[in-house]
Amino acid sequence: MVMKKRIKVLVTKVGLDGHDRGAKVVSSLLKEAGMEVIYLGMFQRPESIVKAAIDEDVDVIGLSYLSGEHLIFTPKIVDEMKKNNFDDVLLIAGGTFPAEDIPTMEEMGIDKVFRAGSLTKSIVDYIKDHVEE
Amino acid sequence: MGETNEKAVQNTQEGNWDDYIKAYYEKPASFKSWSGYDLAEIYTPEHRPDENYKQNIADAGTYPYTRGIHSNMFRGRLWTKREVVGIGSPADTHERLKYLSQHGGSGLNTIADVTYEMGLDADHPWAVDEVGLTGVNITSIKDMETLTKDIPLDKVSWSLITASTASSVTMAQYVAVAQDAGYDIGILRGSIQNDPIHFRYCGFRPACPLDLSIKLGSDVMEYCTKNLPKWYYTTVNMYDLREQGVTAPQEVAFGFGIAMCYIDELIRRGLDIDEFAPRFTFYVSCHMDIFEEVAKIRAARRMWARLMKEKYGAKDPRSMQFRFAVHTAGCSLVPQQPFNNMIRIAYEALAAVLGGVQSLHCCSYDEPMCLPTEKAHLQALRTQQILAYETGVTNVADPLGGSYYVESLTDKIEEETLKVMKEVEDVGGMEEAIRTEWLDRQFESEAVKRQKELDKGEKLVVGVNVFTTEQEKTTPLGVQKVSSNSAKQQVAEVKELKRTRDINRLNDAVKRLRDDANDSKNVIPAMIEATRASGTTGELLGTVREVFGYPYDPMETIESPFNF
Repeated sequence: MVMKKRIKVLVTKVGLDGHDRGAKVVSSLLKEAGMEVIYLGMFQRPESIVKAAIDEDVDVIGLSYLSGEHLIFTPKIVDEMKKNNFDDVLLIAGGTFPAEDIPTMEEMGIDKVFRAGSLTKSIVDYIKDHVEE
Repeated sequence: MGETNEKAVQNTQEGNWDDYIKAYYEKPASFKSWSGYDLAEIYTPEHRPDENYKQNIADAGTYPYTRGIHSNMFRGRLWTKREVVGIGSPADTHERLKYLSQHGGSGLNTIADVTYEMGLDADHPWAVDEVGLTGVNITSIKDMETLTKDIPLDKVSWSLITASTASSVTMAQYVAVAQDAGYDIGILRGSIQNDPIHFRYCGFRPACPLDLSIKLGSDVMEYCTKNLPKWYYTTVNMYDLREQGVTAPQEVAFGFGIAMCYIDELIRRGLDIDEFAPRFTFYVSCHMDIFEEVAKIRAARRMWARLMKEKYGAKDPRSMQFRFAVHTAGCSLVPQQPFNNMIRIAYEALAAVLGGVQSLHCCSYDEPMCLPTEKAHLQALRTQQILAYETGVTNVADPLGGSYYVESLTDKIEEETLKVMKEVEDVGGMEEAIRTEWLDRQFESEAVKRQKELDKGEKLVVGVNVFTTEQEKTTPLGVQKVSSNSAKQQVAEVKELKRTRDINRLNDAVKRLRDDANDSKNVIPAMIEATRASGTTGELLGTVREVFGYPYDPMETIESPFNF
């Protein structure tokens, strides 16, 4: 019998933002939902995120933004993914954003934005529906 | 059929009448407090068989201060309406301070951004993208001059929210600017957060190694004890701990644990408890369960009084008085249906005031979306003003005191807090709990519990897991943007300062700072001089960090510019 491959998710923060409660909680709950989670932690740069994502060959990259840095770092991360031909993975973001920024983030290349107050099921379902197993 | 009738039919078809009828008979789903304690249907004298009013409750202004630290509470003075401000450059932040002062704010309150808290200059490679996004970066004495320009420092009360080890530099920058403007620093009123230990848990661990946190935090306290007698030199931040997802008793227990780390160090330095304890203050959260929050505050006051008197032998009543500011719970706010946040904030502020708060920051409704817009900031201030001037809550001290329920819940929170304090003791005390990451594990498991409560609907949040609607497309009062020009200009100014300052004077001042740190002297006086010599935040902290064996740069990206 062929074992079904577990979905592999990289959860990370970028820059100096220290609000890591959400990223850690989401990591724990995605694990409970059967996914393999690599929590890269705080103080990452676009380069270190994409390198880890390639090294670990993840299906999903989850970015946590709570300090208003999302419009600054998202294009840098997306560029880095493209530069490394690693832009076919699912890119999602969670945190605190004004509603107005969500279309902008999607244009920049985020597949789905989860705002604070999102329930775990919505994140799990989205990932499962969008990662080809 | 006219258009109106068509609409009416459509509404009837779409109306959810089954749920509507069910809602008429609805009962609450849970009878637990926010922190999870089972509550009785009604509290009666039978719940209070051993009531000893004088010993456990007592009048406000009387030990153990359960009912408040002043006998007349708000009749003597209203709480300070102190909205947190920090956006863009020092000049942008100054503008917002002025705006709030024009609308009835009564205490200045400025917050450091992530770059400043991390101890990075605005021109640091990690900082340039993020300067001013979450607060204000003060790199040099010039920035502090801009922030404080034209403000009468001898008359205002200023709360400086720098919590990390950078608070030592903030204190030096503020003192230097005040002295240079001709003020006697002995009369400065205000506070500095200066609680680097707790800040490890807010993502600033590289800037807050435990030994350096205790060293620099205590240096600020010791310096102020001797030089700024009216200054509150630590605000032990229980609020941030609560924001990690812990319960009300854990908030108090962990906060007290951290406070005791500083107290033990100051005593070790030879200070008497009554010399410094009156200047200790706390930053407390007010979450959504009104009665539990009031009970928490009352319990904290009673416990602090006893801790100071019984454990530390304090004799001055002021040492036993638990003074606190409240920050309404940012983590209780959600971006879904954002106007609802105003209502949440108002209830939380009510709890703070019923609990006898000294100083209050109401979140703005847009907290889970962006920095406060001017309108949102004003609305937060108005929330305080409606409470202060329209509701009558200021008339009577401790209005909930004597309620069978609130007194029972106060006892319950005290009992549970003592249990948590015992757990901390059992793992070897707070410093050990931090070193072994026991505390990290508590935060992580509690945070997961809180999310599961939401996922399972055990806790209801309107717009999140009940009465949900489609995502809003806009933010009702607009979005606060941080001007990227402000940040660029500040970075350029810092570079210019570094290019044009008197290097010899700077080197001498930094040498003295390094020597004082090496000789285990209090480093604040040397920091003040180094600040005057245009030494920057990163340079001052980096120099002390190296003495303690840590990399000059917490991000380990740049090297010390000093080689002597």
